[in-house]
Amino acid sequence: MASGEPIPIPGNQSASRVRSPSGPSRFLTVTQVTTMVKQALESSLPPTLYVVGEISNFKRHTSGHLYFTLKDSWSELACVMWRSAAAFLPFKPEDGLEVIATGGIEVFERAGRYQLYARKLEPKGIGALELAFRQLYQKLSAEGLFDLKRKKPIPRFPERIMIITSPTGAAVADIFHAIHRRFPCVEVLLYPVSVQGKGAAAEIAEAIRNVNHRAGSLGGIDVMIVGRGGGSLEDLWAFNEEGVARAIAASRIPIISAVGHEVDVTIADLVADLRAATPTAAAELAVPVLQDVLASLDLFQARFLRTVNARAEVSTARLAGLLQRGFFRDPAGLILRSEQWLDDVYHRANRGLHCRVHEGRRRLDSIAPSIDRLAPHAILKNARERLRATLDRMHWAMCSRTADQDRRLVRSDERLRILLPNAKTAAATRLDALAEKIPNLLRHRLTLLAEQLRGRHDLLSALGYKSILGRGFSITRRKKDGQIIRSTHQIHALDRIETELLEGRFESDIVALHQQELFE
Amino acid sequence: MSKKKPSFEEALKQLEQVAEQIEQGKIGLEDSIAKYEEGMILVKHCRDILSRAEHRIQQLQSAPDGSLTTALFDMPEEMSQPEAG
Repeated sequence: MASGEPIPIPGNQSASRVRSPSGPSRFLTVTQVTTMVKQALESSLPPTLYVVGEISNFKRHTSGHLYFTLKDSWSELACVMWRSAAAFLPFKPEDGLEVIATGGIEVFERAGRYQLYARKLEPKGIGALELAFRQLYQKLSAEGLFDLKRKKPIPRFPERIMIITSPTGAAVADIFHAIHRRFPCVEVLLYPVSVQGKGAAAEIAEAIRNVNHRAGSLGGIDVMIVGRGGGSLEDLWAFNEEGVARAIAASRIPIISAVGHEVDVTIADLVADLRAATPTAAAELAVPVLQDVLASLDLFQARFLRTVNARAEVSTARLAGLLQRGFFRDPAGLILRSEQWLDDVYHRANRGLHCRVHEGRRRLDSIAPSIDRLAPHAILKNARERLRATLDRMHWAMCSRTADQDRRLVRSDERLRILLPNAKTAAATRLDALAEKIPNLLRHRLTLLAEQLRGRHDLLSALGYKSILGRGFSITRRKKDGQIIRSTHQIHALDRIETELLEGRFESDIVALHQQELFE
Repeated sequence: MSKKKPSFEEALKQLEQVAEQIEQGKIGLEDSIAKYEEGMILVKHCRDILSRAEHRIQQLQSAPDGSLTTALFDMPEEMSQPEAG
């Protein structure tokens, strides 16, 4: 087909031979026929053919070899792609995919089948890499690896940044200088990897995993920048490989991707937590500008100071308001007024007390004499005095009477002497008679007086304490010593007392004492 | 504050909390002043972190056992100057 020459059909000769009615020696074995077909086919066809067709019945054997059929609307062509060739396919062949297969036709003797042995396979219409990109994009997108909710936040103020890139590329310098210009207080670490060529993707993926695994021993990594400078699609290809995409997706540490230029978008960019258009842009996304941070710290400080000052002012104003109040204006005054009040109360209380005492004493004094008078001993004393006075009077009366008698006797004696001695007899007789009469008279008189005296005595006894007892009073004595109880101070609870009434006495025990306050 | 010095991010978060506490006015004057002092310590801590300029870059080297060590990275001469602009 590429040659355009008509293809000779070696089978014609054999067919005529088969058709000829020759003997059994002219028969051919299957192997002979197949070998003839193989030789005829392979010698007459160009070694390299470019075949356009749609893939169907695609199978990837466990051995790694690919088996599929290329077809168009009329025909089908069996195809094989060995493992060694398949390894270089960036995309995944699949049914329905229109491809250009490059290879040669050979006969597979064991199956008696001719097949195209493809050495290369390219998608028709678009590049293989582009197709690979689309295929991986669709796969990872279906898995949700590009979802925004998977994206980890980039810390605002990282302390340690890991750059995963080539140590010889432009990216590392761009990133480092940009970081240093903006935020020189961050520590920058470089994980050197190759970023293009065979094995680059595996190295990058391993680096990402290793940093996650060993971040602790490195003092903690806050953010990673993974990327490289600009280049062709092939140069950037490592960042479109599934291994890198999966390592980025699995990373615990936030990753900023920075691959190529603005227009280059890789799978790594889509999986990363943040995509930077360029390595310099990645640095700008990773760190703030120190001046801005310092300014915000200044703002913080000013805000603090303002707030605390405001609070202090409010408190000061409240304090000042308090000090304006009476007590704080004149604290001594309050105390002096209190003292004055206290003095006043004290004096009034004192005066009142004195008055009460005086009043009590006055009333006591006014009552005391009448009590004294009523007291039995006073009554007795009174009676005794009156008795003594009576006896004195009686004595004086007796004495004067006797003296009177004596004087009269003397006078009579004188008269007798003066009178007649003769009268003496008569007189003597009369005297005798008188003498007889006078003692009788005197005796009579004494008896009379004695009777009077007895009568007085009876009166006195009637006036004694017994008679008071008769009026309902009683005398109470302490049982133990007979002392008369005049005051509640003389007795105590449980003391035994004896109460004397007019016609007898009884004993009792003190149950309760009630002191009567004189000043109540 | 915790025994370990907070990271810049943590310190800034604490600063914001302290500022809010003071501004809400729910704490007394004495506490406000204490918080203010705490805030000033945090501000100073932040400034200390910011003043730590590392004018160098460490390059990781993989040891045979897979562990990572660091060495000073010598930037190639032609790259050591920041790009113009």
